[in-house]
This record gives sequence, structure tokens and C-alpha cells, in this order.
Amino acid sequence: MKLISLALKLLWRDWRAGELTLLLASLVIAVGSVTTVSLFVDRLQQALLTESATFLAADKVISSDQPIDVDIVSYATSLGLRTSETLGFLSMVFSEERAQFTSVKAVDRYYPLRGKLIAGDQPFVRGAPVDEGPAPGEVWIESRLFSSLDIAPGDLLDVGAFSIPVTRVLIKEPDRGGGFSSAGPRVLMNMADVPATEVVQPGSRLTYRYLFAGDRKSLADFEAWVKPRLGLEARIFGVKEGAEGIGNALDRGERFLLLGSLLGVVLAGVAIALAAQRYSLRHYDHVAIMKTLGATPRSVDMIFITIFVTLGSTATLFGAAIGYGMQMGVAKILAPYIPIELPEPSMRPVLLGLVTGFICLLSFALPPLLKLRSIDPVRVIRRDLGDASAAGMMTYSFAVLGTLGLMWWYSQDLKLTVMIFSGAVISLVLLFGVAFLLLRSGRVLGMQAGSAWRLALAGMQRRGQENTMQILVFGLAIMLLLILYLVRTALITEWQSQIPADAPNHFAINITQEDVQPIKTLLAENGVDSQPLYPMIRGRVSSVNGESASDRDKRLQHSGREAPGSSSGRNLTWSGVLPDDNIVIAGEWWDENYLGPALVSLEKDLASRNQLKVGDELVFTIQGREVETRIASIRTVAWDNMQPNFYIIFAPGTLEDFPSTFMTSFNLKKEQKLFLNDLLKAHPTMTVIEIDALIEQVQRIISQVTLAIELVLVLIIGSGGLVLLASIQASMDERMKQHAILRTLGASRRLILGSLAIEFCALGFFAGILATVGAEITVFMLQTEIFELDYEMNHELWVLGPVAGTVLIGAVGTFATRRVVDTPPASVLRELA
Amino acid sequence: MIKTENLGKSVSTSEGQLTILKGIDLEIKKSESVAIVGASGSGKTTLLSLLAGLDTPSLGKITLGDREITSLDEDQRAKVRSELVGFVFQSFQLLASLSAIENVMLPAELRGDSDAQAKAHELLDRVGLSHRMNHYPRQLSGGEQQRVAIARAFASSVEILFADEPTGNLDTTTGQHIIDLIFELNAEFGTTLVLVTHDSRLADRCERSIHIASGELVEPPGLVEAVSSLGG
Repeated sequence: MKLISLALKLLWRDWRAGELTLLLASLVIAVGSVTTVSLFVDRLQQALLTESATFLAADKVISSDQPIDVDIVSYATSLGLRTSETLGFLSMVFSEERAQFTSVKAVDRYYPLRGKLIAGDQPFVRGAPVDEGPAPGEVWIESRLFSSLDIAPGDLLDVGAFSIPVTRVLIKEPDRGGGFSSAGPRVLMNMADVPATEVVQPGSRLTYRYLFAGDRKSLADFEAWVKPRLGLEARIFGVKEGAEGIGNALDRGERFLLLGSLLGVVLAGVAIALAAQRYSLRHYDHVAIMKTLGATPRSVDMIFITIFVTLGSTATLFGAAIGYGMQMGVAKILAPYIPIELPEPSMRPVLLGLVTGFICLLSFALPPLLKLRSIDPVRVIRRDLGDASAAGMMTYSFAVLGTLGLMWWYSQDLKLTVMIFSGAVISLVLLFGVAFLLLRSGRVLGMQAGSAWRLALAGMQRRGQENTMQILVFGLAIMLLLILYLVRTALITEWQSQIPADAPNHFAINITQEDVQPIKTLLAENGVDSQPLYPMIRGRVSSVNGESASDRDKRLQHSGREAPGSSSGRNLTWSGVLPDDNIVIAGEWWDENYLGPALVSLEKDLASRNQLKVGDELVFTIQGREVETRIASIRTVAWDNMQPNFYIIFAPGTLEDFPSTFMTSFNLKKEQKLFLNDLLKAHPTMTVIEIDALIEQVQRIISQVTLAIELVLVLIIGSGGLVLLASIQASMDERMKQHAILRTLGASRRLILGSLAIEFCALGFFAGILATVGAEITVFMLQTEIFELDYEMNHELWVLGPVAGTVLIGAVGTFATRRVVDTPPASVLRELA
Repeated sequence: MIKTENLGKSVSTSEGQLTILKGIDLEIKKSESVAIVGASGSGKTTLLSLLAGLDTPSLGKITLGDREITSLDEDQRAKVRSELVGFVFQSFQLLASLSAIENVMLPAELRGDSDAQAKAHELLDRVGLSHRMNHYPRQLSGGEQQRVAIARAFASSVEILFADEPTGNLDTTTGQHIIDLIFELNAEFGTTLVLVTHDSRLADRCERSIHIASGELVEPPGLVEAVSSLGG
């Protein structure tokens, strides 16, 4: 008890003397920044997922060609999930004067579960959100159907056998999507009216969609339960699987945010280690005195562990509270820029921050403190013993294990953890060697320069080992910041290039052969940029290497495949030329004028899901006829480039005899929208899918993810600044003493400040070079392996890195050590005696 | 009280082994006051640190009280120090973050004594600093700090007091006061006193002196040599 009381007294006195400020600040900021980032990211991720779920009008969707078992919906309800049902089919609709091919969607009163329907009273107005779809006995139609059918709101529309009044204009539905099952202008009706239309007959092509929404856990439980119970005709998906462009953006955004958190923890850990090391060093004499008075190593342990636990608990709790408050503040400030409501924060990120704080303490602060137990008591007499020897293996082991553990826990991704860790270790080892050589190279320069230079470089030589460590620490901090900056820039550039301003935002399908040339002409005359027109035929694979495709699908489903099988119906096309953004990764693309045996090229994911490879023989059933083909190549496709993309492409010479329609995509600016009416009037049998709203939504989500990324970057910069300060502080005592003596001997303030500035600028310059090397190596690994981006060397970095290091370290270091010239030498010498 | 047999201490340097002490045989009786004198670098501070159990010899044996401390581990030596030994250092070695009374209480607190504060109060009074007991070392002069250190040294009812150049950082007048205080308390508590000093006044106050040169015990210079060394 006495020892604990003594420990608390020492702790309180050290705190009052300002000995603990930096260590406490490092701990508080480590825990605070981790908590802030985790909390904010947690809320933003939830919000993003919810926002993204509007693409599906739900969190999860089961899509099927047939109605599903009612027990499935009952089970979902029993888990507390909200459910809704929609039915989609294609149908001609008739007004008094005209007919139009449309995509009809029947919905129940719970639709949509996510997002909002927007309806208006007149065509082409902004409209307003509504809570429910059309009531029984009413139908809503899209704006342009009014002109193509030549009707007005209130007029009757024949949908199958049912004559029904058009009561409102459907401005926007949340899950309009880009899939071709939703091709055609939209007619929205109530599910109760479907039987009256008599459109649904045996053999009709229907799409049943069952929508589910609720909390994360219930959704996960439901999905795990339902997956093995779904037949081949049905599949369940969420936003990530159902909307590739969004899914990719979300995935990469999440990984980046995670990366930021990980690096923030590492930086904070370094700051803690430095501050703890300094605190420990300043207590060596105290421990030696206590040992001369009879303190055993165990007593020393007891005292400093008490200090450590008390400090750690206080800092961790305080840091978590600050983190919680900060993220509330950040959310409030950013509210005008985040057009979605952030859900309430959960406790998990707070616990994460608390546990992180303790693990950081154990890993980074405990080893220097434990070193105190082995301080020699003879130190009180033998001043020649100097300061402690370099940290032992145990110290490094703690820090390494702690860092690895934290990184793995955060990421739940061993590959990412090992990659960053290896990159950092390799970089550090290289950096250490190079830093040492660089410092030695300063020796020749120093002899030629004026006094401030000679003083600075002589000082660097004298403190060779410490300065090497400082370059490493500075270099590590700058490197981590550069990594974040580079990855963030690459991600944002990639996203922006995916959806450039003039990317196609409309798809046109069901174009007949005769209409191809007139449509091309019409588009060109109206200044509309369009993609090539691709032929499209519906078909399905009936056998693979002699085995029935449906039997094969059943076999593969039992072994865990999760997506539509090879036997599902697909849109097929043919082309002599490899389409834009398609890259052949196996096999070979055929000649443009190929006319040999039938060949096909498959998309990569389709091939791998169905275990198909180059050389496999596929038989297609197309419009009742069988076509034998061989897989000639496998390609990757950029699904989010808003251009016509196909899972299966035939070589020329096989499908030309089949009747087909054509499709294309084009870009229409807002002021050109009315051109659609002219296009559809001239070619009423074609169908246009407007995905400009979809693109806008994707861009909004990407901008939100970008915002989150920028926030993480700012917070991590804060951590990095702390590391720099801690590192500078670590060398403060020796500098103070040296410069106090110099000033006593007559050195001017100008000389001292000048030498400090030169020394820190030089250290910063070396650190900047090494940080650039380390960043390029690590970013190469991250971009290619984790973020699946193309890597390009960052030439501007090779100027930015050293300049940033020089300016940043030079400024921060000189500012932080200016106390050396401001404090009277006598005070310094007395304090350090 | 203190006995050494063939005591030696060597350290490794970049130029090889450096012998600091060699073949030291000495005996100091209970309640005796002994000065260890010698030129700078002669090994006297090293000898003091070995005798006090602050360091371990390379050769030989040391007996402190009735315990042979050479083979003890650090825990056991710490125990011996807390029970038997008090220290006064040239640079005072007070804990800057503790007040005067708290510094004096420290040895008793480390031992778990319940009357640490009362004893400390008494000792500070004895050394004439009860009016400064709540002041911190930076608020005390050199002489006052050394008085606190002396009070701390006697806080644990020690049997042996080791002092390393206790007047080394003090002016002549203050130094004299400190010397007087040490010997007064020494006589009052009946402790064995071993001190290292350059100060001839301090050495003269001790019952005997041990002379050390180049790491070995030597005979004290005779009158003729002493006069010759003055350049006569």
C-alpha cells in the first residue's frame, strides 16, 4: 500500500512538473484519434450502406423467376425484418391512339423499403417524395410515356386486359437500376391489380423480387439461413453484389479508411514509445537513488506499474471521451456536406478506442518503463556510466507484437496486415542503413561551411546514432502520411476517370436492324456522342464439355457457388473487335475478320464462378437452335464504365444469321433530354434506359466516401505531427544543455537558432528522401494487391517528399526548440544539473 | 563492521581490461570513522561504491555488518542497504519532484515503516530545516539540500554512513557546517562512518585515513614526502 501511495505521489508530482504532458498527450491523442475515426467511419459506413441500399430499395433482395416459398418471407418477418414484394414483366400498353412496349412493375404497399418514390402531377416536373406506390385501381407512368402514348394525367391506359387510369407521373423510383430486366419505360401499378391484367400466364417471363430491410445482424442471420434453401432460379444479393460500381467504390473506400486507422495507430504508438522512452530516461537517476535507499527491483516495478496503469486508465478514458465528443462535432460541422442522416454511433468504436489505448500502452510504453528495474544503483556515484544502453530484444518484441496484433484486429485481413507491416519493416531496415551513411556524408560538407553550418553538422555527427533514429522516426511519419495521400489520390482519380463528365448516361436497346443506320444518323445530327451499336440475342448455355449445363450447375451449387449458373439466360453479342476497357487475361482474341469454327470469349468472373476455362466446349441454345462453340479467351470487363458490356461475346461468323436487336449507349446533357421524345417518336419500337439519375447517385456516394477519406487523412496528419513533436522533444535535454553552455561561452542567439534550423532542415531533407522511397515501395504493394488499381510511379513525389520533409521538420523542429535560446542559460543548467 | 579480502575491480574498455582496484584488504570497525583519500582517478569512489554494495567486485569478498555481500543478488543487496546503510552524495541526489520532508521519508516508505513522517519531521528539525520541510530541492540552497540529504541518510536507523565528497559542491563555510553536522549525527547515532574526500579538514576529523593510489592501498605519505610534495 505504501508503495502504491508513493507511486501515486510521484505520478502527481511528475504531472505537476510537466514531466508527463507529452506522454499523456500522446496516449490521449492515440485513443482519441482512433475513437474519432472509428466512430465517424462506423456511422458513415452505416449511412453509406443505407444510402447505397436505395439502389435496391432494400438491404437485401431475393430475385427469382418463380415465386419463392412463403416460409422464407415468414422467417424474415420473425427475425424482425421488414419485407416487400415486387413483380416485373414486359408488356405492351395501349392508349386510345398509340401503343408502347414497357417495363411494368407491380408493387405492394410497403415498397420501397429503402429510398423514396418520387411522383408528380405533370410530366417532367421535379416531383416530391411519396410514402407508397399507386393504390389499387391506379397506375403511374414515366414522364416520356405521356408524349409517346399521347395521353395526359387522368387518361385511361390498357395494361393487358385491364383499363386503368393514369393518376400520377412517376418521376423517380429508387431501384430503377441499369439491368436489362428493367428495360423499357416504366409503368408502376399495385400488386393487387396484376390478376386483372391477365398478363401473367404460364410461361410468362416474370421477375419476382422480394425485398428485405433491417439491422445488420438479422440480415446476416437471414441470409445464412435462406441461401441453401434457394433454388437455381433464385438468388439473394445486397448492394455490394447487386451494384458493382457502388460495390467497388464502397469496398475500396472501406479499405482505405481502415488503412488510415491502422497507420494512425502505428503513428500514435511511435509517439507513445518516444514519450515513454524520454520519461523513463529522466527517471533513471531517481530509480538509482531509490535503489541506494533500499528499493528492490520488485519495488521499482510496483511503483512504475502503478504509475503506468493509473496514467493509462486516465488517458484512455479521457481519450475515448474526447474521441466521442470530437466525432459528434465533426459530424455536425460536415452535416451540410453529407446529404444523408448519420445513424447514432454504436459503442463498439468506443470500446475499440479503449482497448487500442491499452494495447498501445503495453506494446509501446511498458518496455521503456520496465527497463527502469535494471538501473544500476552505482549510477548515483559513477557518472561515467552514461545513459541506458539500447533497448533490448524484449522491447522490440513488445512493440512488434502489439503493432501486428492491433493491425490484424482492426483489419480482420491478414494479407493487408502482413503487407503493410512487411513494407514498413523492409523500409525501416533500408532506411536505417542509408540514414547512417547519409549522416556520415555530412562530414565533408561541414568543414567548408560558415559557423552555423559547422555547428549544425558537427552536432549531427556527434549525435550520429540519435540523429539516425530521428531520421528514421521523421521518415516513418512522413512516409505513412505520403502513403495515405498517394492512395487517396489514386482512388479518387480512378473513381473520377470511371465516370467522366461525358460518360454515357443512357442505354438504348431493342433497336431493329433496319433502324440501326437511321438512329446513328439521328444521334449524329443532334450532336449526341454514342458508343458502337452492338447486336444482342438472347440465349443460354445448354451443355458444357458434354455435360448438361443445368446438371452441372446443380453440382457446382452443392459445392458452394453462389451466383447464377452457366445455364441462365443471357444477352449474347458478337464482335470482331475487342470492346473498350476489356482486357484478355487468358487465351487469345480472334482476328477482326475471323470466319472459322464458332468461338466465344467469357468474362472473368462468369468463367471462374462456373469453373470454365479456355478450350472448354459450350453448346448454346439460341432461339431453339443449338450452336457448338469453344472458349477462346477470358477477359476482364470494367462494369462501371457505363458502356455496353457483355459476359459472353461470340466471334464473327456464327450469330449473324439469327434475328437480333441492337443496343448502344450515349451521353445526353440535361438540356438535350427532350431529344429523347424525338428519338422515341421516330423509332417507337426501341427502348431507352435513363441512367443519368443512377450516375448522379453513384457520384454522390463516391463523394461521401471521399469526404470520409479526407477526414481520416486530416486526423492522421495530426497524429503524425505529434510523432514529430515527441521525437524532437526526446532530444531536447541534450540540446538544451549543449546550447546553454555555448551561450554561456558567448554564442549569439542568431548562431544557435541558425544551427538548429540547419540541423532540422538537414534531418528533414534526409527523412523526406527516405520517406519517398519507402512510400513508393509500400504504395506499389497496396495499389496492386489490395486496392486493385494500376500502379504508376509518382514523379512529383520525388520533389515533394524531400521538400516537404525539409520545410516541415525544419519549421516544426526550430519552433519546438527555440526555448533553447529563450531560456536563460543559468536556469537550464540548474534544471539539468 | 566492514571487511574486504583481496578486493579487485576491472572494467572492459575499447582498449581492453582496465583495472580500477587491485588487492584491497581492509577492515573498518564498528563506530569507527574512516576517510578514504587519494588523487582523482585513484579508485576511491569505486572502492566506496563496492563497500556500500552499490556495485559488485571482479575479485575478492566484502563483508558488511555480518553479511558477506559479494555473492548476493541485487534484491538481497537492496535489502542490506535498506537495513544497514545510509548515503550522502556530492551532488545531494534528492528527488526533484518530492519536497524536503518527502525526500527524508523516502527510505522509511520504501521499507514500509508506519512512522516515516514523524521520524522525518524529527530529523529535519534536527538539521535545522523544519521551517523548509515543504519546499522542493530547487527552492533550497546547496547547503540546505545537503542537510536534507543528511537527514535522509539517518532516516532508517542506519549502522553505516557512506559519504562521497559531501562538501565537494559547497563553499568553505557551508562545507564546514555540513562536516560538523555529519559528525554530530554520527556520534549521536553511533554509526560507522566511511567517507571519500579531498578535503583535508574532513579527513582530519576522522579517526583514521585509508590512502589509495592507482587502485591500491598505500601507506600515507610521511612528513618528509609531504614537505617535498610542497616543493620545499
